[in-house]
Amino acid sequence: MAERIPRPLAHLLAILQEPQHVQGLALSDWEPVIRLARAARVHATLGHRLMANPDCWAAVPEQPRGHLEAAMNFAAWRRHLLDMELRALDAQLPAEIEVVLIKGAAYQAQHLPLAEGRLSADIDLLVRRADLDAAEATLVEAGWRSTVTDPYDQRYYREWSHELPPMQAEGHALELDLHHGIAPVTSRCQPDPGVLWAGRQRLPDSRYFVLDPMDQLIHAVVHLFQDTELDGRLRDLLDIDAMLRALPDDGEVQNALAARVAMFGAEVLFWHALDACQRWLGTPVPAALWPAPPAQLPRAVMAWMLPRTLLPRLPEARAGLGSSIAERLAHLRYHRMRMPMGLLLRHSLAKGWRRLQLRRVR
Amino acid sequence: MTDERLVRALSKDGLCIDYGACVARVRSDVPAFSQRFFQLYRHFDLFARAPFVDFHVEVSRGRGLRRWLRPQSRFLIDRVQPFDPFAASHALPHYEWGLNWSFAQRFNQYVLLHAGVLALGDRALILPAIPGSGKSTLTAALMLAGFRLLSDEFGVLRPRQGDFLAMLKPVALKNASIEVIRRFSPGAEIGPIFAATRKGDVAHLAPDAASVAAVHQPARPAVIVFPAWREGAALDLQPQAPEQAFTRLAFNSFNYGLLGRIGFDAVADLAAACPAYQLTYSSLDEVVSALRSLVSAPPGGANG
Repeated sequence: MAERIPRPLAHLLAILQEPQHVQGLALSDWEPVIRLARAARVHATLGHRLMANPDCWAAVPEQPRGHLEAAMNFAAWRRHLLDMELRALDAQLPAEIEVVLIKGAAYQAQHLPLAEGRLSADIDLLVRRADLDAAEATLVEAGWRSTVTDPYDQRYYREWSHELPPMQAEGHALELDLHHGIAPVTSRCQPDPGVLWAGRQRLPDSRYFVLDPMDQLIHAVVHLFQDTELDGRLRDLLDIDAMLRALPDDGEVQNALAARVAMFGAEVLFWHALDACQRWLGTPVPAALWPAPPAQLPRAVMAWMLPRTLLPRLPEARAGLGSSIAERLAHLRYHRMRMPMGLLLRHSLAKGWRRLQLRRVR
Repeated sequence: MTDERLVRALSKDGLCIDYGACVARVRSDVPAFSQRFFQLYRHFDLFARAPFVDFHVEVSRGRGLRRWLRPQSRFLIDRVQPFDPFAASHALPHYEWGLNWSFAQRFNQYVLLHAGVLALGDRALILPAIPGSGKSTLTAALMLAGFRLLSDEFGVLRPRQGDFLAMLKPVALKNASIEVIRRFSPGAEIGPIFAATRKGDVAHLAPDAASVAAVHQPARPAVIVFPAWREGAALDLQPQAPEQAFTRLAFNSFNYGLLGRIGFDAVADLAAACPAYQLTYSSLDEVVSALRSLVSAPPGGANG
């Protein structure tokens, strides 16, 4: 499974694993490293990891250090915005609706180290399916509007997705995603809502909850593989890496996590996530966590596809034939995981037909 | 490099240009762009390579048929086009505007004041102003009268050091001020007029050789002056209290809110470090000599 990682990317991955790696870098090595980190939206995280070690921070030349400082300042501001938004939403959402923070908002509210420098594009909230309509209605009343106006797309989201279309409010920098599940309705990974909700934990002095730490990790894995935004995925992998590293060295915890992965039907996704973390970020993975490996062929396909779609590329690096095929495949696969085959066909046909019609109108 | 080689390099791999606070690699295949570009940046060294480039930008013609039928100027950073194309004839103002935008978006390691900055030696004169207050006209006149130009648009304040970096770009003169500056200094190197841009008619004044040569010398804040041009007004300099200067500086910043405490501390330090004045003027000759004596006054003088 030999893979050729371009030098700048190898530097970026090496620094993320071991900040001391910067000691050997020349100024000219830094430019593509900064650009790759920006493309993957991990530049502020990179800055925080380096700044934590004064020797390493001092070894970063002035120009790249400026970019890292700028990224950290920007991330701190986004973090502040997210805090303010959560405070405002607290007042708007009815007290009887239980709201679970997921992804970035959850990491930040728990003060996890991985939230340091992590750039969130949106606020993700999870409510019970039964509370969804009421929660949506209050948000609309508070000025949040759906970004999707097309009736077909609206219906798709409502029938087949685990979240409403993203919402925006005027004058608010962050988008809001209201979820009622952590995996698409049709995904093969199906956490039992009862189990998921039973594991929730209330944040101290807050109306908000977070998921059980095990479920946070499983959700990060599901998110990594079932998201079409291909450019932020190294960041998502870093989330998983950090959560794996933070697992207590306790066989019971590890066994419980492995059992939960199996119960949710997430073994295949989990195996690929562990494999990617181990391979690119050097994540130590306890033996008890590994599910049975997927079959040879799908494994080979993923091994070929993942480095081409999950790792960042320089803007000028022309997507080679291999990469564009891999991206198409990843996109198809993403939908395959979200929908049963029949629905996928119907959805593709509907989309294709509508595109044709639009073209005629134009 | 010869002119022809420069044009070829610009359209192929691009050329690196050092603005002081940042280095950009610029690529362009728009003929109307390269000619103006070399004219306005005539005193700059342009390099085929730089050890570290901050911005990778491109001014490119449209795609497909459009490229030939109705050529446009598209501004791209990292191969992404953040806003709508301009007409090809306006490629140069489009580039200047696009680079300013990119700089303001990304360079949040510094406090970016909306201010002209000039210097005598290492003593900087900061001219923060709202658009339309005649800041660019005054900045242009001061450079032409021998001040070193650091920037017309961005006051690049380093929060830890408390000094200013150059962000040395052509001064964008608008509407009537183009003629005012021509009259003030007949030898001024002013490029062609771009009519009816979103800011009206725009022409650019090339930074002079002395400012380019000193592009890597930071300057320490010496005086803050809030300028306001008023027709027929007698020259008037009113001292401003530091707290007044503070709010006006913060208000005229691109990223004060984003920087939070870093911005607050840096701007408060700046307001405390040097005297500030409200300036009303009508005559450029008068104001240049008044500001020259204000900036060259030794520290510890009347207001120091």
